[in-house]
Amino acid sequence: MANEKVDVVIVGAGASGSVFASVLAKAGKKVVLLEAGPDWQLSELISSEMWGRRIRPAGAPFRLEGKNPFGYAGQAGWGVGGAALHYFANHPRFLETDYRMKSEHNRGLDWPIAYKDVAPFYDRVAREVGMAGDAKAEEKWRPPGDPYPMPPMKTFRQGEILKKGFESIGIHMAPAPVAMNSTEFKGRPACIYDGWCHVGCPTGALANPIVTYLGEARKANAEVRALCTVTRVLTNQQGTRVTGVEYYDDKKQKQVQEASVVVVAAWSGQNPRILLNSATDKHAKGLANANGLVGKYMMTHSIAGVSAMFDEDMENHLGTIGAQYMSYDRYPKTSYKSGFGSTYIVAGAAQKTHDFANARPDLIGSKLHEFMKQAARGFTRVTLFGEALPNLENRIELISDKDAHGMPLARLVHSFDDDAVALWRANLEEGQRAVKAAGAKEAWVGNVIPTTHLHGGTIMGTAASNSVVNSHGQTHEIPNLWVAGPSIFPTEGASNPTYTILAVSLRGADQLAASWGSVTN
Amino acid sequence: MATIERRAFMKGATLGALAFTVGGSTVMLTARQARARNVPFRLLKEAEADIIEAIGDTLVQGARAAGVAHFIDHQVSVPPEEALLQARIFNVRPPFVNFYRAAVTAIDSGSQRLFGYKFTEAPPDQQIEFVHNMRQNKIDGWQGPPAPFVYTILRSDAVDVVYGTMEGYEMLGIPYQAHIAPERRW
Repeated sequence: MANEKVDVVIVGAGASGSVFASVLAKAGKKVVLLEAGPDWQLSELISSEMWGRRIRPAGAPFRLEGKNPFGYAGQAGWGVGGAALHYFANHPRFLETDYRMKSEHNRGLDWPIAYKDVAPFYDRVAREVGMAGDAKAEEKWRPPGDPYPMPPMKTFRQGEILKKGFESIGIHMAPAPVAMNSTEFKGRPACIYDGWCHVGCPTGALANPIVTYLGEARKANAEVRALCTVTRVLTNQQGTRVTGVEYYDDKKQKQVQEASVVVVAAWSGQNPRILLNSATDKHAKGLANANGLVGKYMMTHSIAGVSAMFDEDMENHLGTIGAQYMSYDRYPKTSYKSGFGSTYIVAGAAQKTHDFANARPDLIGSKLHEFMKQAARGFTRVTLFGEALPNLENRIELISDKDAHGMPLARLVHSFDDDAVALWRANLEEGQRAVKAAGAKEAWVGNVIPTTHLHGGTIMGTAASNSVVNSHGQTHEIPNLWVAGPSIFPTEGASNPTYTILAVSLRGADQLAASWGSVTN
Repeated sequence: MATIERRAFMKGATLGALAFTVGGSTVMLTARQARARNVPFRLLKEAEADIIEAIGDTLVQGARAAGVAHFIDHQVSVPPEEALLQARIFNVRPPFVNFYRAAVTAIDSGSQRLFGYKFTEAPPDQQIEFVHNMRQNKIDGWQGPPAPFVYTILRSDAVDVVYGTMEGYEMLGIPYQAHIAPERRW
């Protein structure tokens, strides 16, 4: 079934898709967002670990392989808001060094743009969605920018104790920049510090897409079609232009949505899968994939999580699931003698009972119960995110197995290289030093490297020879096919990615709106 | 924004209530209540549920009474995109019931080989030994999903029903602090 042609069809109503929808709808374009999951309302975001799983994907579109398989389902989204519906709202910027790794270290890749190109969009995102933090304090690590529109969030006992621990080993901490309301902002209430952010914030205090860009897009008449799964991007006979997308609607009926421009914004996992599945005789390896780079350079952060038990009551149930304090002190890519890459440090996230139980997966029965009682007062955890370099071998590729729509599943192959593993180990040691300095009676770590934040797969670059898209997300091969989200990052830094996703998407969407005539003709 | 009563919660979802069918009628019950009322299982066989209860109680004290088998049975019977199971987060491919069936079969046959009798008939100390061996992948001849993975999933299910509910938080003396009052049933 064909639908009336629109100006733009956007695949995915998560963070990046919502930005494009907002900018383009406000520019007067007729916008349709096709979202594979439900159209969640705030009032459906139950404060419960189990109920919060509904906003994660179900099923297995990815076969997870490699030495360090990526933990897919916990990281992706399911429904409007995407992964940003359950994200922790930590909003650190990428720093200048992230944009020029190749130039500075002759390793990895450079971005085709510099920090200064993105900086105005960081400031604009902060103004538009609302952020709390202390921008002045961050100038220790980055160029000055606008102040955040809200003061830092409240802090609680565990945050203050951990801050002292880090600072006693020479690591400076600053209030964590977060996309949460420390005060009322644009009619949205201030946070009440209940720590249920990760299952979806129903009050609107956390700047998820529903209350920010997607909400604005809807006000500007963008249409959201939920439970609509895009399987292919369609092209003209010559293969020179995209003409729309094929999708299955909420009744499992195949539909076509024609559009002048297609923006694929379905997350780093799905973007390559969709482009690869859109192969035609003119694009035998998939759309925008003449160079074979679609699905390549998949990257994830390592998590050096250090658990700690204190005798005193840490008040660990208070706060947000984001951080209270953060540090870029180990962000320089050669901070440690071993390993390579940036590290972003956070401390003071609220803890729930599942966090306790997961912290000691070896305990069962009465020993587990005894631990849970102790953890209820004295448990805390610090996290050090570690960067990994772009590697061609880390990839997404289609397999013969198919999903319910007959679309091929994909394998996601991911392994950390020796430098990333060494960085993770160094971070574990650093984290343990900090919590012990803070007074922990016990500190421990896991022996498996957790992964988080998927990037890459359709990276940006200077030319078709080295990348899939340009710095705005426009594919080199087909001018009216755009890609958005962390899949276009050529390196991943160590910062939580969503702030940069929003900033880079805003930059790309502005460019698309400004160059509409040339893109569509 | 939808109307939300701060710090209130729906008697139901946050308590862990699910829609069970009792005598032809749909009623909202917690998994604990469903077990206490002996609500029939939807998909699991009694013997499968017995194994889940036995291993659940070994992993987390009180999981049997908290209705771990009823929780799993309910969740494997709903569409996968509605399921609340940790299996979903760990990339288990639906239908989830297949995973649980394979898991309990592996547990029972492993117990038979190791002890000479079913897992449900093993004394508590042997049940504890068995699950520790599962975690460490030390059960010879294990057939099914990897034993450490089964351990992780079943332990998580047991944690869900014992420590993940408002009762669980109360038992540990932690304020639950739900901040939503949904207006619809779940």
